[in-house]
Amino acid sequence: MWRLCVVGLATLYLATAGCAVVRPHERQNLARRSMIEDRPVGQSRFLQHQTGSREGADGGTGEPGGGCGCN
Amino acid sequence: MQLIARRPTVVAIAAGACWLAVAGSARADGELSMRGVYYKERATRVMQPMLDGSFEVGDHGAVTAHLLVDAITSASVAAGADGGEFTERRVEGGGTYSHELGVVRFGSQVRYSSEPDYKSTFGGPRLAAELFDRNLVLTASGTVGHDEISNAGAPPMVPRIEDTLTSYLGSIGVSQLLGANLVGAVTYDVSYLDGLQSNLYRSVIAAGAQVAERHPQLRTRHAVVGSLKWFVPASSTTLIAGYRRYHDDWGIDGHTPELRVIQDAGAGAAFGFRYRYHRQDQADFYQPRYDSSTLAFLSDDIKLSAFDSHTLAAHLEVVGEALGFEGRIGELRGQIVIEYVAQNNRFGNALVTHAALTVPFAY
Repeated sequence: MWRLCVVGLATLYLATAGCAVVRPHERQNLARRSMIEDRPVGQSRFLQHQTGSREGADGGTGEPGGGCGCN
Repeated sequence: MQLIARRPTVVAIAAGACWLAVAGSARADGELSMRGVYYKERATRVMQPMLDGSFEVGDHGAVTAHLLVDAITSASVAAGADGGEFTERRVEGGGTYSHELGVVRFGSQVRYSSEPDYKSTFGGPRLAAELFDRNLVLTASGTVGHDEISNAGAPPMVPRIEDTLTSYLGSIGVSQLLGANLVGAVTYDVSYLDGLQSNLYRSVIAAGAQVAERHPQLRTRHAVVGSLKWFVPASSTTLIAGYRRYHDDWGIDGHTPELRVIQDAGAGAAFGFRYRYHRQDQADFYQPRYDSSTLAFLSDDIKLSAFDSHTLAAHLEVVGEALGFEGRIGELRGQIVIEYVAQNNRFGNALVTHAALTVPFAY
């Protein structure tokens, strides 16, 4: 089930990624704050700390956990 | 109370250090952000003031740094006291450096956290490559962490125990522009932990006796996150949908979908809402009640139980100009976040509030 999920996501991603090429002059909306940094770094860090100390299913943020003394 | 008295001093020292660090350099842009967080649930309160800075260094470099203090007040025995309410302080500092070299950005991060019974150090490299005219961004990072854990918060008659935890994290990600208003991203994390993963203060009632918690020494965790961000020009609305799937070799499976809406409300103002659902299975060895104390592993860790939670959050962001201010005050950015977490486990429901002020500057 786990592998199927990963393969499915990867296939979906590869299938959609090849469909579009967005040129620099078309990116004014992509450059908006909400599209780039949708959450300030301090808010993200606390959220990661909060879920890491309250949920056993942590991870997926690309950031290491630990250091919260929350064993 | 001692912490509350000292907190302004810590923030002032950090702000001064950041100012001195950037003074006298060539002209560049930076940002300094001050944030205070208050977390409250049935038996735990957390106050966390923090300071974040980001600075350009030369033409191609960027530095970020943060400093925070956690004041945790808890009535939980597992958190380090012997039944009564106690307050513990954690101090954390960290930073990143990244350097752009053509389409590649490489860098590193370090972080150190210290509290009386838990010291944690970790760091590692990061790499990002922007390909196909920046339509595709590939990211990779690796981190090694070393934690030193003790039961220093236990009463004096309890024998002292010290142990370590070593952790390794690998992460790869891909982000793709899917249209002029649409971005998709997928991130995969794998982490491997080796060392003490139980709580030195926590005990388990097993066959009528109180015995120390025992967790496996090793754990391998996998998580995949997929997200789509869509900007709707007609209403100036950003919709963000995400889904996280988690699995580890302790038997926990987790599903976490999330939906966010961010609405522009005129020049310099925005508000938003978030809903997050989390559901997880319990660890293979976790039992609400143990009939034998001789089992290899025993746990009273609520995080390892099966539960689900619902999170509802709202936020408001305003730039000074939107309130009629001009000049430097007009550039200030304020943020307020209110979040409510409904958890159907012993932690109970939680309320989280943030207040932040960001100051952009040139130097």
